[in-house]
Parts: sequence; C-alpha cells; structure tokens
Amino acid sequence: MKNKRTGVVGVIAAAALAFGVVAGVPAQAADKEIVIWADETRGPNLDKLMSQKSDWVKGYTFKIVTYSSFDALKAAFDNATDKSGPDIIMAANDWVATGAKAGKLAPLTLSSKVKSQFTAGQLYDLSYKGKLYGLPVDVNNVAMIYNEKIVTSAPKSFGDMVDAYTAKKSSLKAGLCVAGGGMSWGALGISTALGAYPYKITASSAVDTADPMNAATVAANVTKYLLGADGKSNGFLAASDTGCKDNFLAGKVAFAIIGNWEWKDYLAKGFKMNLSPVPGITSGTYAPSFGSVSGALLTTYAATHGVEAGAKTALFNIFGSAVGARSYQAIEGRPAASKEGAKYAKTAAQKGFAKVAGITSLPQIGAILNGDKTSYWDALPSFWTAVLVDGKDPTTEATKLAAIYKANLAKGLKDL
Amino acid sequence: MNKWMTSNLWRHVVAISVVLFSLFPLYLVIISSFNPSGSLNLTSFLPREISFVNYSLLFSDPRIPYLSWMKNSLIIAAAVAILSVTIGAASAFAFSRLRFKGKMSGLKLLLLVQMFPAILAISAVYVIMERVQSFAPGIGLGTRPGLLLVYLGGAMGVNIWLLKGFVDSIPAELDEAAKVDGASPMQIYWLIFIPLATPVLAVVALLSFIGTFNEFILARLFLVDMSERTIAVGLQSFIGGQYSQNWGPFAAGSIIASVPIVVIFLSLQKYIINGLTAGSVKG
Amino acid sequence: MLISIFRGKFAFALKVITLLILTSILVMLAQQALASSEYAIAIFLAISIVMINFVYLTKRSVPLKFFLPGLLFLLAFVIGPILYTLVMSGFTYQTGNTLSKADAITQVQKLGVVQDSNQTIFDVTIGKNGSNELSLLYFDSLTNEFAISTEKARTAEPESTVVKDEFDIPSSSPNFSALTEDELGALDAQIPALKFYYSDEYYLGLEGFQAASLYKKSLQFNQARDEFKSLINNDIYRDNGRGNFANINNPEDILQPGWRSPIWFENYTKLFSEERLRTPFIKVFLWTISFAGLSVLTTFALGLLLAIALNKAIRGRRFYRSILILPYAMPSVMSILIWGGMFDTEFGAINNLFGTDIAWFQNAAFARTAVIVVNLWLGFPYFYLVASGALQAIPAELSEAAAIDGATPRQIFNKITLPLLLKILSPLLIASFAFNFNNFNLIYLLTGGGPIAQLDGEIAGSTDILISYTYKIAFNQGNSNLGLASAISVLIFLLVASISMYGLKKSKVLDDFV
Repeated sequence: MKNKRTGVVGVIAAAALAFGVVAGVPAQAADKEIVIWADETRGPNLDKLMSQKSDWVKGYTFKIVTYSSFDALKAAFDNATDKSGPDIIMAANDWVATGAKAGKLAPLTLSSKVKSQFTAGQLYDLSYKGKLYGLPVDVNNVAMIYNEKIVTSAPKSFGDMVDAYTAKKSSLKAGLCVAGGGMSWGALGISTALGAYPYKITASSAVDTADPMNAATVAANVTKYLLGADGKSNGFLAASDTGCKDNFLAGKVAFAIIGNWEWKDYLAKGFKMNLSPVPGITSGTYAPSFGSVSGALLTTYAATHGVEAGAKTALFNIFGSAVGARSYQAIEGRPAASKEGAKYAKTAAQKGFAKVAGITSLPQIGAILNGDKTSYWDALPSFWTAVLVDGKDPTTEATKLAAIYKANLAKGLKDL
Repeated sequence: MNKWMTSNLWRHVVAISVVLFSLFPLYLVIISSFNPSGSLNLTSFLPREISFVNYSLLFSDPRIPYLSWMKNSLIIAAAVAILSVTIGAASAFAFSRLRFKGKMSGLKLLLLVQMFPAILAISAVYVIMERVQSFAPGIGLGTRPGLLLVYLGGAMGVNIWLLKGFVDSIPAELDEAAKVDGASPMQIYWLIFIPLATPVLAVVALLSFIGTFNEFILARLFLVDMSERTIAVGLQSFIGGQYSQNWGPFAAGSIIASVPIVVIFLSLQKYIINGLTAGSVKG
Repeated sequence: MLISIFRGKFAFALKVITLLILTSILVMLAQQALASSEYAIAIFLAISIVMINFVYLTKRSVPLKFFLPGLLFLLAFVIGPILYTLVMSGFTYQTGNTLSKADAITQVQKLGVVQDSNQTIFDVTIGKNGSNELSLLYFDSLTNEFAISTEKARTAEPESTVVKDEFDIPSSSPNFSALTEDELGALDAQIPALKFYYSDEYYLGLEGFQAASLYKKSLQFNQARDEFKSLINNDIYRDNGRGNFANINNPEDILQPGWRSPIWFENYTKLFSEERLRTPFIKVFLWTISFAGLSVLTTFALGLLLAIALNKAIRGRRFYRSILILPYAMPSVMSILIWGGMFDTEFGAINNLFGTDIAWFQNAAFARTAVIVVNLWLGFPYFYLVASGALQAIPAELSEAAAIDGATPRQIFNKITLPLLLKILSPLLIASFAFNFNNFNLIYLLTGGGPIAQLDGEIAGSTDILISYTYKIAFNQGNSNLGLASAISVLIFLLVASISMYGLKKSKVLDDFV
C-alpha cells in the first residue's frame, strides 16, 4: 500500500505539473487599450460616445469602466495601483490636488488650438502647482428657482426673498432651501450673499490674497435675515437639504437652489425655468455660486501601461476637439465645458444655467477649499447648523468660520 | 376576566407595541415605493397617489439590470453559504471532536481574528485581488468568482466558530460508539456527523446567505460592471449618486429584494430559532 | 454498504482524481503568478499545493485533513490582510506618500521639467528621417521654418519640399517619412521618455502623437547621493526620513509625490502625544464603549421582555413572532437608509409623528439617541429569538419548585431565571458587544459619524465610533492617512480582543468549549 501511494503521488505530481505548465502559458498581450473610469452618469455617456465613432485614436480601443456611484469611483481610485489603475479618470476638479500630490495623475500640455476651447478659469480648476492634469468636460453649477404661485415677481435682493417668505410664512415649510449640491457646495450662493466668501477672485481671474470674509458683516446679515427676535432661526432658510426638492415641488417652499443635472424633474412638474443666481443684500446684485468643471484626467498609470501618448491623444481628440465636444454635449445633460460644446446647448434650462454661470460664479479651487485642518466642505454646513439649529451666537460662529477660511486660503495659496 | 387581564393583557400590550415599532419603517418603505415622485415621501402617512412606476422602472429600464443584480446576489450568496459551510463544517468537526496539539490556541486565534476591525483590510484585499487579476483575470478584481473567494475567506472565521458551538451540542455518544467499532474520523464525519448536523448546517448557511446578501462595501469596490453588481450595490447606487437620490426605485427594489429572504426566514423560523440557540444553549 | 463508498478503491480513486484536478488548477495559477512576477502569491500557491497533497495523501495529520481548506482561506484573506495592516501601521502611508521610493523618484523626475516662457507647442508628425532615425517633422513657429528634430540634432527643412496634410500640418518630406498608426502604437511605451533635440537649452517632448512642446529639466537626480538638485536655483533636496525629498535649507519645501517610509511606532505614539489626535481619540473611544454597551443592553432588554411576554401560548403568538423577526430578516443596508430618512428634521416621519422639530442629526445627544434607537430596531429580534430559546431550555422544575416554596414570580425571575439566562447567553452578549464595537455599517450609513463641530476644529463626529473614525482617517477625501488608521485598527483590535478574552475567561466559556 505504501509503495503504491508513493507511486500515485508521483503520477499526480507529474500529470498536474504537465497540465499546469501547458495551461499556464500567459495569455497574449492584448491590443492597445485605453481604460477610462467614470461614475454612474458619465460612464454610460462615454459608452455612447465610443459607439458613435470607433477611431477617436487610430489603433486604440477604449474600455469604459462605470462605477456604481461617485463614492465608489473615488474609493477605487484611492486603492488603485498600476496593475489595475485607469489611464484616464473622469473626476471632479477637487481630486486634482490630491491625485497630483499622490503621484497618481500625470501632467499634460495643451496646444493653443485646444487651449482656446476653454476659459482660463476652467484650466485653473484642473491645475496643481502650475501644471495641468486633464481637460474640462462638463460644468456643474446651481441656480435659484422660485415658485410663481408663491412669489409673483423675481426677487431683486436677499431681503425681497425674506419678505416674500414672511408674508406667506404660515403656509410654507421654509422660504429657501438647497435641493441640489448639498449644504456646502450648493449653498455657496447663500453664504456669499450674506458676505461669507471662502476666497475672492480678482478682475484678472487670480485669487485675491486679502481676507475673504468679514465676520462682523456676516454675523449682522445672518441676524437680520435668518434669525428671529429670539435669536433662533426665523424659518426662512432650511438648515438641511433633505426633502428640499419634494417640498419645493409640492409648493411648500418658495425658493430653491437646484442643480443643472436635475432640471428635467422641475420641468416635468410644470415649473418655468426662471433661473437666477442668489440675489445679494444690495438690490440688483447677485452672489456667486460655484461653477466648477469636471475633468477627464490623465493618470500616471497610462505611462506604466505604455499608452500615455495614446491617452493624451484621446483626451485632445475627444474632449479638446470641436467634433468631440459636440458629440458629448448631445448626450450629456450638463452644460459642456468647451466653447464649441456650449454652442450646442438646446433647452431653455441649459441656456438658463449657462446664463447664471455667466452672471457670476466662483471657480472651485480644491487647493484652498480642501483646507488646512477643516475644509470648506465641512465648515459651511457646520456654520448653518450652529446658527440655525443650535441657536448659537452668530458673531462667535462667524468669527470661527472666518478664521478657518483665512487659514485655508493661506495654505491654498502656497499650493497653487 | 381579571385573571386574563393580569396574565395575558400585558403580554398583548408589549407584543403589539413592539409590532408597531417593527412595522413603522417597513410601512414607510412600502408607501415610498408607490410614490411616483422618486423621493422618500414621509410628508404624509397615507399615500397621496399610488403608482407602479417605480416597480416598472426596475424591469423596463435597460440601464437598470435589476434582474441581473438579483441573480448575482442570489448566486453569490448561495455559493458563499454552501461552500463556507462545507469547508467550515469540516474545521468545526475537527475542533470539536478531534484531539490535536495546538487546538486551544487555534480556537483562540480563530476568535481573535474575527475581532480585527476588517475595514482597513479593504486596502489589503484590494491589492491582493488586483495582483491575482493580473495573472488570472477570471478570478481577480472585478469578477464575481473573485468576490466569492474574498467572501469565503471572510466567512470562514465566523462560521467555524458558530458551527463549533452547534457541533458541541450534538451528542458525542454516537460517534464514540462508531469509533469503538473501528470507524475512521473521515467515516464518522461523513456517515454520522453530517446527517446529524444537517439542520444546523442549513441554519448557518442561511445566516451566511443573509450576511453576504447585505454586504456592499466590498461589493461596490469589486464589482464594477453594471450587469455584474449585486443587489445591495445596485440599490445603494440609486441613492448614493453624486448629486441625486432616487428613493422611489430604491424602495421598490428593496421590497422585491427582501421578499425571498423574508419568505425563507419566516418559513424556516423554527429551525433558525433552534439553530441560534443551539450555539449557546447546551444540554 | 454505505461504508464501502468511503473505504477502498472507489474512495481512493475519487480522492486521487479530485486532488489531481485541484493540483492542476493550482499549479497552473502558480505558474501564471510566477510569469507575472507575483512571487508572494506564487509562493503561497506552491505551499498550498505541497500542503494539500501531503495532508491528503499521507496519514500524518488527521485533523489537518479537516481544517486545511478553511485554514488556507483564512490565511489568504484574513490573516494576510491583518499582517498587511500591521505592517502599514509602521509607515508614513498617507496622501502624497503612497508610492514606493523608486516610483516616487520616477514621478518627481518626470515632473521636474519646465516649459519655455511662451509655453510653445508645435503640431508634429512622428516618423523616421533619411538615416532611419526616429524624428519629428514640424513647423517651428518661433523661427518660422520647417524642421526635423532627432534625438541628437535639429535641421531646417526647406518649405518647398514639405508635404502638408489637410489640416496644414507637415506630414512628409524627402528626408522624412511618417510612421504608420500601428508603428505609433508600438512606440507608445517609449514616448514619455523620448527627448528630441531643439536647442542646447530646450528639448522637444511629445504630447500625444500630434504635438510636442519645449521643455528643459529643472531637477537633477543624483543616484549616488540620493538627492535632487534644482537646476534653477541649485537648492538641494534630500530624503527627510519621512518619505519626501525636502529642501535642506527649508524642511517645509518638499518635492511631491513622496513615498511610504518606515517610521516604526510613530503612528502609535502620535496618537497619545499629539493633543490634536489624542482628544478626539479618547472622546470616540468612550462613545464607542457606551454605544456598544447601550446597544447590547437595550436590544437584550427588549428581546428578553418580548421573550417573557410571549413565553406563553397566547392567542396570536405565531403572528406576533412572524412580524417581530421581520427587522432581522430585512436587508439591513436598506433599513438603515430608510431610518436615516425618517429622522430628518423638516420632513422626517419621526418629527411628523410626534409633532416635534428636532434636528436629530445636527445635535450630538439626539444623534446618539437616534443611533441607539435604530440599532435597537435592528437588534432586538435576535435577542428575542435566542432568549425565547434559552427560556425554554431552563428546566421548568426549577421555577415550579421555587413556586412551591412560596417564591413570587418576581423573585423567581430575579433569583433563578435571569441569572440562568445570563449564564447561558453570556457568550452571545459578549459577541454582540464585540460586533457593535465595530458596527461600521450602521454609523456609516445612518449619520456618517456626525454631527461634527467643525467650526471648533473637531475632526471626530459625535456618533463616530472607532471603526468609522478610522475609516474616515484612512479614506478621507483629500487627506487620508492609512498608516495612522492602521495603527488605530491595531489598537482597536488589542482592546476588543482583551475585553472579549477577559469576558470569556470570566464566564468560563472557553473552558467549556475545549
């Protein structure tokens, strides 16, 4: 028995080894393939784009990998290494600083023809320490819409809105709420109307190095417009964005900040696209919101995979060319970033959002916003909660907010 | 009457209040699933309008391969359940019935390993599977078999420990008698232990099934292709989008997804209860 | 009869065939792993192959035959990652320091170039010149002439000989023929490193296949001295021991990206020595203990109450039971998200129901209450089920005897039933504590750890438990620190493990088990 066993062991080993060796010959290297990672909205758009024209870059095929959500895309990119990482990633502009710092993004240089498709601000959005990491694809912005059954004419100033709310307070849940973009990104217009700027942009589109926010002014405005005599919220501004959309659609809120990716829902409910930025304190002025581009970013994995030149060419041909921008704009609901693409905005809503962005907007500069210790993204929602929910002293809270903005600006300026 | 009041009324009061507590969220999900505005409508307790648009969306919209998600979840969860119990049962048997050096330390290690907060292991598991992907694309990152392997690894510790509790509760007399008759451990395992333990194995398999069905942190990182996603990832994507939340289809999808599990659970509740307690209650 | 299947030739043949198939597959995988230079995996597979065949073909160890498959899975997907975490906790491993040192140097070198002041970029065609050298043909807009650049030299090309394509870009000349698309594709891997001569100061670097811009090097790496030198101002950057090249005159001035660098126990000591990390850590730790304790207490209490209430064949018991286990049977991901919507301030069902306008998730105390309530909903059915089972396992004679002795039902419960139940269920209570200690899904999906007093500079939320806090540190947007997070993970592990081990020892469960 013992000998027999040994024999069998030998046979197994030999057979297995033979089989394994034969089957284990590595597969042939695939054709040149450029891998693009995208989130759940842009992935399907790219799939369509690729099916329309197969030779964006001759000799290369494209593989679009669509993640289930923006968070999942980010988690995957955080974990990616050169084995599986993408060659191009469709990302938000505030990923640029992180990705570049981590050595995951690779710089590129644009020809003057491609460059002319974009504004300096858009390219600035996708740059880190003076180097550009991708091409702008589409623009995200928000605009304010009002319910015509509650408000008869467009408000000229922030005070007009509060007055309109006070007049019909009993039948409303809130005067103004943020339906799109959340209480930090989407709510920027409300905070800048009250004077709380994370940074300002000079006439020559550079970042203003002066202190962006005066705490006393902001506190006074908050007290005047958002708080009642008892120091608690007067109910005008909803402190959270949950349910805003439903309640606006149901006629329970007079004004809402909505995103340019969701206007169809409002149109379907019969709302006119009477869009505007948030009015400022002074009648006839407007407060800037974010007009931020999403980009197609080049990764360092492209070079590792030996397709960097192909990936760069793809970026130029698809997102930097007239034909590419036009094709993409036909599929994407958001306004196009490129000038050529913007010509193809069709609907009143798309034009309305473009107009709002044109009146006033602040570029989204990740290096400043992501912050020193506390980011803009965390600080502003906390401010709303503190003054509207917890009933804390607006002066104290505005002073804290101003200190955070100041520190973030100082840190960001070093990184630009 | 008075006696009934004191002995039974309070029982009903307790039961009914907790039943209401249990049903409240479920009721809201059901209402939301019939709300056509695609939102978690909690503004009124009675539905204002009833529409099946959320349900029909799940089966008609080509961008939402709901049936594939469901199929993926069922297949992966079933495979994890069956395989992990098969492998785990053998280990549990060894730990329960066989004598060997290092048994105590092995058990302790098994227990300790489960207490390691596994969240950070995501990075490590990702790296491992990414490497596997580079030489065996069929079982690496982004594939269902790959996810299955990872789940199996993760389920091992819990299941062995759980199963060991059950195995201990099966009387040892039978297999000792068999041992006296000259049966080998293998024979005892297959011929005596497995038939006796089948109901218990089924319960652990079911718990493992539910656990896998619920997992989404790893699944959303691993399964990328739309049609390869599991139901938890698919549903989460309705409300985890960068800018939008579609509560309506989420609610409808959740209800349909819950049905099979709830049905299995309710129809097997007797075994499950016995199974859950067998692990802790001995003799 | 049946025995014969498991004994003798048939069983042996079956075993050999199974082993043969398994071994073949594993050998194949190991071979492929080796071919792709994945040595760690190849070694693991090789050891597995040897172990499997040794264990199942010899009679050396019977127990191993039973738990080898489980052991291999555990090693690959549980113990391996744990060791990886342990190793990571000894490194600077954070945003900006994720590469290996060699990769970081490559990246820094690649970024260490500057464009000319005009940011000149030419439309180019890639091809071969007359002597078959790789070269570029382009219109030089700085000198207004056509030119061909090879790696070594640049020669002007008379305009009359240059052929232009439909976009007015020079495509060929007598001295130049363009590469085909296939040739370009094959060249791609080398393109990032190619430098074409332009002037003594600048070279042409390709931007894709159709453009090239003027660059010069701004950083020079000195391999022998392991340092970078700025070619602009001659500053020296050296390895600062923390994963970056830093300016020797200004430690703040570092070159990015950096690499993961070993710092041994610094991630651990930092947690206790740095005020900014210590305070939130202690705060989160205390809440984690309270959260896990309260969760076990509330779910057990409600479960037990129900079990006692329904421990009698009252009418509708089956109906009650079917409803009561629903929260346990529903996929919890869904339930938690729904509860999140219900607790919303303005529009949530909870405030509607009670006519309140509490900002549940914006206030620490309320958010904590909400977390406990949701966890109660999720967890009570489990304890209801196990407590029902345990109640039935307690011999009726005990309480009957006590009743005969004149004990009141309350006395019987306090003195007999409860102590017995606790003894029976103590392992489950401990397990439940350990589970809730790391109940990531609940916190992540319900409150995300919030609210956070960001304006006061806090980084941990009021409902953050250690595991969700760790996750935030590890995967935070913009500034993640896997090294620190790994150190916290290891600490959590030590804590939970010692608490559980102590608990188990106290309840003598382990003694019973073995």
